[in-house]
Amino acid sequence: MSPPRRVVVTGVGMVSAAGAGSSAAVARALGRGEPFIRPVAAFDTAGLPCHLAGEVDDAALEPLIDRDAARRMSRISRLAVAACRLAVDEARVDGGPTLGLVVGTEFGDFRSSGEFATGYLKRGPSGLSPMLFPGTVMNAMGAAVAITIGVKGPTVTVNQASVAGDLAVARGVALVARGQAEAVLAGGVDELCEPVYRRFADELGVLSPMRGRDGRRAGAEGSRPYAAEHNGPVLGEGATFLVLEDHEVARARGATVLAELVGARWGNVPVAPHTAPVSRADSHSAVRASLAAAGVPTASLTACWGAGSGDPALDDWELALLRADLPGRPDLVPPRALAGVFGRHAGVGAIRVAAAALAAGAGPTLAHGLARGGCRTALVLASPVRR
Amino acid sequence: MSRIVVSGIGVVSPYGAGVKAFWEGLAAGSCAIRPISLIDTEGFRARIAAEVPADVMAGLGVSPRRARADRIGLAAAREALADAGLGPAERAEAALVIGAVGGGMLEGESWYWEETRTGRPSPRIKALRSILPYTHAETLSWRLGIRGPKETVVMACASGSASLALAADLIRDGVVPLALAGGVDAFTRICFMGFNALKLLDPEPCRPFDRDRRGMSIGEAAAFLVLEDAEHCRARGGSVHAELLGAGISTDAHHVTSPHPEGEGMMRAMTLALADAGIDAGAVDYVNAHGTGTLQNDRTEALALARVFGAGRVPMSSTKSLVGHTMAAAGSVEAAATVLALRHGLIPPTANLSTVDPEIPFDCVPITARPAPLEIALSNSFGFGGQNVSLIFRR
Repeated sequence: MSPPRRVVVTGVGMVSAAGAGSSAAVARALGRGEPFIRPVAAFDTAGLPCHLAGEVDDAALEPLIDRDAARRMSRISRLAVAACRLAVDEARVDGGPTLGLVVGTEFGDFRSSGEFATGYLKRGPSGLSPMLFPGTVMNAMGAAVAITIGVKGPTVTVNQASVAGDLAVARGVALVARGQAEAVLAGGVDELCEPVYRRFADELGVLSPMRGRDGRRAGAEGSRPYAAEHNGPVLGEGATFLVLEDHEVARARGATVLAELVGARWGNVPVAPHTAPVSRADSHSAVRASLAAAGVPTASLTACWGAGSGDPALDDWELALLRADLPGRPDLVPPRALAGVFGRHAGVGAIRVAAAALAAGAGPTLAHGLARGGCRTALVLASPVRR
Repeated sequence: MSRIVVSGIGVVSPYGAGVKAFWEGLAAGSCAIRPISLIDTEGFRARIAAEVPADVMAGLGVSPRRARADRIGLAAAREALADAGLGPAERAEAALVIGAVGGGMLEGESWYWEETRTGRPSPRIKALRSILPYTHAETLSWRLGIRGPKETVVMACASGSASLALAADLIRDGVVPLALAGGVDAFTRICFMGFNALKLLDPEPCRPFDRDRRGMSIGEAAAFLVLEDAEHCRARGGSVHAELLGAGISTDAHHVTSPHPEGEGMMRAMTLALADAGIDAGAVDYVNAHGTGTLQNDRTEALALARVFGAGRVPMSSTKSLVGHTMAAAGSVEAAATVLALRHGLIPPTANLSTVDPEIPFDCVPITARPAPLEIALSNSFGFGGQNVSLIFRR
């Protein structure tokens, strides 16, 4: 077996509540130190127990997508295309058979699914729109990106709660390391969708202020990851993608390298769907596997970003798992959290990895993800020193 | 490089539960496409599909409170693990890669239909918890004790075959010694109505490669394969159904619903799979085609096959003519069919094929299964979004 290729980050594209931009925009958003969560503007939340979200200002998309092309795309596809365009522009890579794509999403184009179904319910078979139907399949965003940018290598869409963006980056690393693509666009995208927001906020009660075990809501609305008063996540939206590239290819073309992905693993703690039982240990920890693959001792880590979203059970479970995996590093637990800055969505996972990449110059960093239901990700980033 | 073997197979198909029923149906050339019973089809052009029969669903041994897709997925996965002879310790080491599209949408639709029509909140809202495709992986990993990496891949109708290709990568990379991989899709209203809206469904059972074909027929199924490092399988005394020689994944980057008119992406997937397998096209004895029965797909696939293999140089058939297009499951259903064809030395037929389209210059094995000394076979899967996956198996 030929040795795996080294994988580096050469570009970042982010469209979020903080605006649109490349790695510099991510750095600026992180440096501001304040959340971009605001009262929802896209729809009326009167009567709901929740009113906050991290929304994208669509004006940020306009300079990034051709107007005619934009008309043919759903909004979530526009988010993905815009972020990918920013990432490939920063990396200066072109489309073609050597460029791959991995899209992570939790909800996909739920808006199109709802509109498609509503068309039938209102007008019967004649109300069904063949234009909306492709959007009901979650790979629709990947298709839009592939067509717009010319991605002809492997295009993969992964569906996962909470950590879809991290998982997409980890899968993208595997594709580049195996030589299945010279470069891969990898990241996550989700869109704030009124029907989902309403159900989550009201009937399911899983947003801040979420219902406790007694069925009652307590505390003020807000995303407070790992805090004692955390009482649920706040939804966000947006897309963030990284260009992951074969180190040799990047070096040969003189690309600017932001960081090297020296470890990328994902794992699973088999628990009941949608649950987060703190007591479950992880005998097959992705964190330990990723650090071992990277050859990075726990003591060398300089920073850690976590998936913390303010969901009390999930936050507490993540802290318990990280304490077990990072013994002797209480300074890293609780980790830094970004869902409280941008709102929880699939793109945040990729922002976590981008943040870890931007900080890797000071030493190895860890981007950790954990979802209810047990999906776990661990990406280790380091400065790309010659090995 | 690690050799990857198939050490377990599990299928729930419109023929029933189990690989035995699946293979007997394919070998007999029995078309399982019937009038739809699950939903009201009044006013639609096509009103048939290949459903998993109600008595089969009732006998799966999975709680009827679970989503239909979870039920068939769990049953197929359990069969695959049992067939491979995997105990709890080995399952704990396995990866889980699932190809899915519809998730628990059938039950989610029931909730949405009821709430929209009555204008009142419905208690069926709990169905939303299982509506997204990734819940299959959560359910299966929890119930089956799988502790390796889990991943849900949504690549439209190529999802099932992509799950196998990506799981094989995890084994080759040394991340895990074995993986449970495959696709699952239950019938959903959105899928049925969408393909009706696109006028891609044949009102009669589909006739892939036929001059007079009018579209496809929807099916539902789950199929899982246990993929394993050959040495790991040998060391634990596992049995081998076949070897997964190679895989190729490509993207058209052309159109959301239509394939590239020259089959460029399809050709690249097949060529990549051949290169990955380290064989020439001439070594392939049989192609299990994507073969949907739509005008565009069949003609484009034939064009791509002719360019890779040479016109008429390899027999091909479409098992979609027998069990319908099972969407996200199709790739793994057809991978299972391909492996079984190699094992039995028998090519499953293309049902309902009376006059081959003159633009499809291949022996499409019409109507009746054909004995053949098969050593190596290729399975194609293509999907919306220009997704192309080819898998190559050796007996």
